[in-house]
Amino acid sequence: MKKLRIAIAGLTACSGCQLSLLNCEDELPVLLEMFDFQFFPMATSPALLADEYDAALVEGCISMPHEKELLQELRRRSRYLIALGTCAACGGVAALRNGDGRELLRQQVYGHSPVADETFDPIPLQSLVKVDAVVTGCPPEKEELLRMLAGLLRGALPVGIDYPVCTECRMRENLCLLTERDALCLGPLTLGGCGARCPSLSVPCEGCRGPVPEANLVEALEVYAQKGFDRTAVIGRLRRFCPEWKL
Amino acid sequence: MATQFIANHNLAPLLVRLRQSAELHGPVRGDDGVVRFAAIAPGTLPDLSAVRTLLPPKKYLLHPQETILKYTVRAGYQMPVEDVHQIILFGLHPCDLAGINYLDRIFLDDEPDPLYVARRSVLALVGVSCSPDEFCSCHQLTSPLKALFDLFFNVVEGGFVVTSGSARGDELLEKVKDLLEERVVAVPEDARRFFGHAAAEATRPEPDATLPEWRELASRCLGCGACSICCPTCYCFDVLEFCGLDNCSASRVRQWDNCLFKGHAEVAGGMTFRKDKAERFRYRYRHKYRGFGLSQGIPSCVGCGRCRAVCPAGLDLRPLAERLEGGQRE
Repeated sequence: MKKLRIAIAGLTACSGCQLSLLNCEDELPVLLEMFDFQFFPMATSPALLADEYDAALVEGCISMPHEKELLQELRRRSRYLIALGTCAACGGVAALRNGDGRELLRQQVYGHSPVADETFDPIPLQSLVKVDAVVTGCPPEKEELLRMLAGLLRGALPVGIDYPVCTECRMRENLCLLTERDALCLGPLTLGGCGARCPSLSVPCEGCRGPVPEANLVEALEVYAQKGFDRTAVIGRLRRFCPEWKL
Repeated sequence: MATQFIANHNLAPLLVRLRQSAELHGPVRGDDGVVRFAAIAPGTLPDLSAVRTLLPPKKYLLHPQETILKYTVRAGYQMPVEDVHQIILFGLHPCDLAGINYLDRIFLDDEPDPLYVARRSVLALVGVSCSPDEFCSCHQLTSPLKALFDLFFNVVEGGFVVTSGSARGDELLEKVKDLLEERVVAVPEDARRFFGHAAAEATRPEPDATLPEWRELASRCLGCGACSICCPTCYCFDVLEFCGLDNCSASRVRQWDNCLFKGHAEVAGGMTFRKDKAERFRYRYRHKYRGFGLSQGIPSCVGCGRCRAVCPAGLDLRPLAERLEGGQRE
């Protein structure tokens, strides 16, 4: 069987999503057997765009002109383009201060250096190109990455999750940090699939996987308000990973 | 009438005896305060004061996520083989027993589910009577479901009156008979809760789709899924298929689902039968209080109160059910 040709690129992000894939040590041999990672600058060299790809996996958001070009190039060359991680899907941490004024942020961080002159407010992939599927998370779960790659072998895209973190948290029979500990747990608004990783360790959900479909922000804000959290605090917390959240 | 009585101080020795023939599970309070059905550590007692566990006993019969079919090119399709061992589930309240009775109807009577059959066959059910709290509604709604048990412990002054409900229960009683005494004790007559005063299976008209309550519930629901996850009779599951990285194997997984989720009634092509959350609430209500399909006329709500206790938005179908089903208050 012909190996699937894969491109993996990182835009504005921490490279953690790509690293999650490289951390699948047990599966790396079979991955190399089934896939040809033709463009994967973080892991292989030379990193030259020189072909067409069955799928491009892109981590990170777009904040610089050369990233726009790379993304558009990958889109043109790939049958599927898959957003890898919350930054690619929603903007993520890099987009945290979008709306504060680009000039102000630039001066605060870089002073008068011209180094950041070309940067712009970070945007998610789908604001520029068609995205065929999203594997969200900060970083995505290894299992999700492997399932997505295995699916590609059969020409299938990953099935979207429709339930929030709470669902898996309840399946694990955890103490509910929101109702029982009055913690600002973002589980009800956040896409599941992580197995309620943080609440299972008594850490409130930080919302790193972005919004769940049909998130009921209005009612959630009521519930948080009863626990003593005002709207601004909740929205501020939600926007750490997804600037789309608005009052 | 003489009954089999066991004194409170004989409970610990009885549990030791039961443990000799099977794993002993019951309500155990964790360090976090959550009461869960779990293995009872030797030398400890189950928490019989808890009104309800967080997850119901259905977790012993249907796992939240489990592989139900495997495929490899070499071996073809293979059903999973369940590695089961005898478990005595001690401390089930009548609602949870009735919940298992409901699941039995679904997973044993119609098209027996092999995993359910295997797990159910090794489970001995030991019930304990209880007092309802403000979340319970077992005493308000009548039901054709029954609290079927192997043994039942009725709480009385100074101990329990023990009743056997099956051959398995007789066997267990035999092992502990030196701890029991014949005594004339008045057992509180409990007509409401799944003990033989079953209501007939009733066919009722469809609940009115235009009730404002559906929309009110929908607008307040956070969609967290807790109500069905924690329900002793919610058995809806989603089925997902995953292929292996070797490209010649695959597995089929089922996981607990919730009828209020976007994908519950979604079919191929993204079409959905219940796009609107208000419609999903009406569907949920029908399943919980009316039943449909093969379970037409069998309400699946056993009144355990978990859905209400765990809902972060404090939603409750009960007031509506009291109105529409003509529930009887004590």
